[in-house]
Amino acid sequence: MRVAMIGWEYPPFKAGGLATHCYGLTRSLADKGVQIDFYMPKTKHATGSDKKNLNIIEVGETEIFPYDRPDNKELAGQFFEAVYRYNDLVVSRVKGKYDAIHCHDWLTMKAGIALKYKTNTPLVLTVHSTEYDRSGWIYPNQWFIDIEKEGMEKADRIIAVSHFTKRVIVEKYGINPNKISVVHNAVYPIPEGHKQDIVLFLGRLTIQKGAEFFLRAAQKVKDYEPDTRFVVAGIGDMLPRLITQALDLGISDQVIFTGRLTEDEVKHIYGISSVYVMPSVSEPFGITALEAISAGTPTIASKTAGFSEAFNNCLRVDFWDTDEMANKIISLIRYKPLHQTLSKQGKQEIELFTWDRVADKTIDVYNEVI
Amino acid sequence: MPSICFYFEVHQPMRLNKFSVFNIGNNNTESTYFDSQLNKEIFIKVAKKCYLPTNNLLLNLINKYDGKFRISFSLTGTFVEFCEQFIPEVIDSFKDLFKTGAVDMIEETYYHSLSSLYDDMDEFQDQVKMHGQMIKRLFNYKPRVFRNTEAIYDNRIAKKVEEMGYKGIITEGTEKILQWRSANYLYKPINANLKVLLRNYTLSDDVGFRFSARMWPGHPLTADKYANWMAKSEGDLINLFMDYETFGEHHWTETGIFEFLEHFPGEALKHDHLDFVTVREAIERYETVGEIDVPWAISWADADRDVSTWLGNDMQIACFNELKNIGKKIKESGDRNLLNTWRRLQTSDHLYYVCTKGMEDGDVHKYFSPYDGPYDGFINYMNIIQDFKHRLY
Repeated sequence: MRVAMIGWEYPPFKAGGLATHCYGLTRSLADKGVQIDFYMPKTKHATGSDKKNLNIIEVGETEIFPYDRPDNKELAGQFFEAVYRYNDLVVSRVKGKYDAIHCHDWLTMKAGIALKYKTNTPLVLTVHSTEYDRSGWIYPNQWFIDIEKEGMEKADRIIAVSHFTKRVIVEKYGINPNKISVVHNAVYPIPEGHKQDIVLFLGRLTIQKGAEFFLRAAQKVKDYEPDTRFVVAGIGDMLPRLITQALDLGISDQVIFTGRLTEDEVKHIYGISSVYVMPSVSEPFGITALEAISAGTPTIASKTAGFSEAFNNCLRVDFWDTDEMANKIISLIRYKPLHQTLSKQGKQEIELFTWDRVADKTIDVYNEVI
Repeated sequence: MPSICFYFEVHQPMRLNKFSVFNIGNNNTESTYFDSQLNKEIFIKVAKKCYLPTNNLLLNLINKYDGKFRISFSLTGTFVEFCEQFIPEVIDSFKDLFKTGAVDMIEETYYHSLSSLYDDMDEFQDQVKMHGQMIKRLFNYKPRVFRNTEAIYDNRIAKKVEEMGYKGIITEGTEKILQWRSANYLYKPINANLKVLLRNYTLSDDVGFRFSARMWPGHPLTADKYANWMAKSEGDLINLFMDYETFGEHHWTETGIFEFLEHFPGEALKHDHLDFVTVREAIERYETVGEIDVPWAISWADADRDVSTWLGNDMQIACFNELKNIGKKIKESGDRNLLNTWRRLQTSDHLYYVCTKGMEDGDVHKYFSPYDGPYDGFINYMNIIQDFKHRLY
């Protein structure tokens, strides 16, 4: 089986779960004998593969990321043009006979559709997030929605990362549920470190990820557990606002903003944190929660987060309910048996979430279209 | 000739209010621990679906078969308090059943607690006495047979129950204690002069768990089929022990559970060698055939048939110990309100909701739990225990 996969990011370069997913998926597919050509933009970092049947093919440069918005100042109004230019480039570079073309999210959907018709090859589309998620359901941008809708309609099969996302695809994009398979993500476990009194937020600082709610909860925890530190790891357009918010809330002494972290730093901070909080406004899956849990860090996640449909050993809150979020943070700090049980049982349950399983289910989907 | 011994456990816990760490230490009254609105809603719902219609059906059946259909109940103290508070007719209907003479009452701890597992047995004894007083008040009767919370049983408990004057005790007919032997006989504890009635878990669970399971080969279970299984059974006694809520609540009316119950006595009595007995009649009529030795506690809960349902993880053990350890202080205080609250908090259900056992047992726990999972159950319960301690010190 030969598959042309069109992605956008791949470790060591990554801005989100999409890269993690592509990395885990392509490597496990390769191990199962699938021939994968992974097309992606050229990056400053060296990317490569040590597997014979997995080729990473870089096709020119672009400044756009899957999480960019059209108002990105660095693109100076060139956003849409840059997207179209890159998709055209991909179409011209994909050569050879494939059994399937596999795209991820909106960014390469135009190229996927064009290739489907140009080479008469079935198209599989994985939806990691939709415009509704990324906008936090506030003023979603119609341009993205139109691209996503076209891609979903033209795709022969769709893989959704959760039932939550499948519902969005059916209800907001009007897609036939019978052509959507749900495949939950997986994780490469991260080693547990020496735990400190750290409560961690890690993710893009965008409206979608809800860091502001994390800070509000932190303020409520502060008076009860004064020794606790709150770490906000990541970058994004909300960063200046969040720093101001921390000052306004009077918790700037308790909160550390790390900026962008390297992969090793990310692993380290997961390992030494005592609590991970994922207060996303909208979270199709939430691989970071699995990463934290794999490092023995009990996790408090939004009730709607996709991973928690399939995961028992975590705590759930409404993202806006910062009283309850604080209640749970304090409980995890105070009640050792709660912390230990969640940590232990969470790590056990994580063992079910392997890329091997994701690859098996993805191959099932390929077999339906070939 | 095997006698069929039907026994129903009737219990409702006092479910807790949402209680966050921010509430600890700034509450005025213990009554805020218990969610009276939720408790009332659930009680009224279950009374309409189960207690009232089933009591009515059983009364008709006893009359129809002229007392040949015989059954036993145990009512917990918290259940009776709900009856008296919300629907006193439920208690009246139990009194009507008892007056037929075909119904026996079983003793247990008033609070359906785990006090039998405490280091000393004073609290257990107090709670059993409270239950005895309640049964005396309602039915003017002294039970001869004892059933501990969810049939928790070990040698120590058997000894204590004998000392308190009971003649029989109920527990699970698990292979752990029987090995090759049959549950359809009475046994004697190795260290006490008591008769032990053992639940026939296969036949009990055929109704209690599997009745509406379409995947089960026995589905649909009809009264004549079930009676035939009884007729083919060996032994003196077939103990069918289950939650009373089996009828109309665990299995809804639409599953045919009430038709099944309605026709079962008649179908059973078609077999000349079958009859019905209450638990008291069972121990009066039959002799023990062997001894059982139970050094570690067993129960009828989950697949493990031990106490891991309530004490299987560190969170449960922490709550259990914290609550247990303040007992002495509470009794010394002489404050009746504190004592009552402490005991209501001991109801085993609060720990049951904190069980993290997975798979099929976990699904059962989810069905009964008012919480979004065991961890929320722990946080809420532990917060209340902390507040309660705060009040005490």
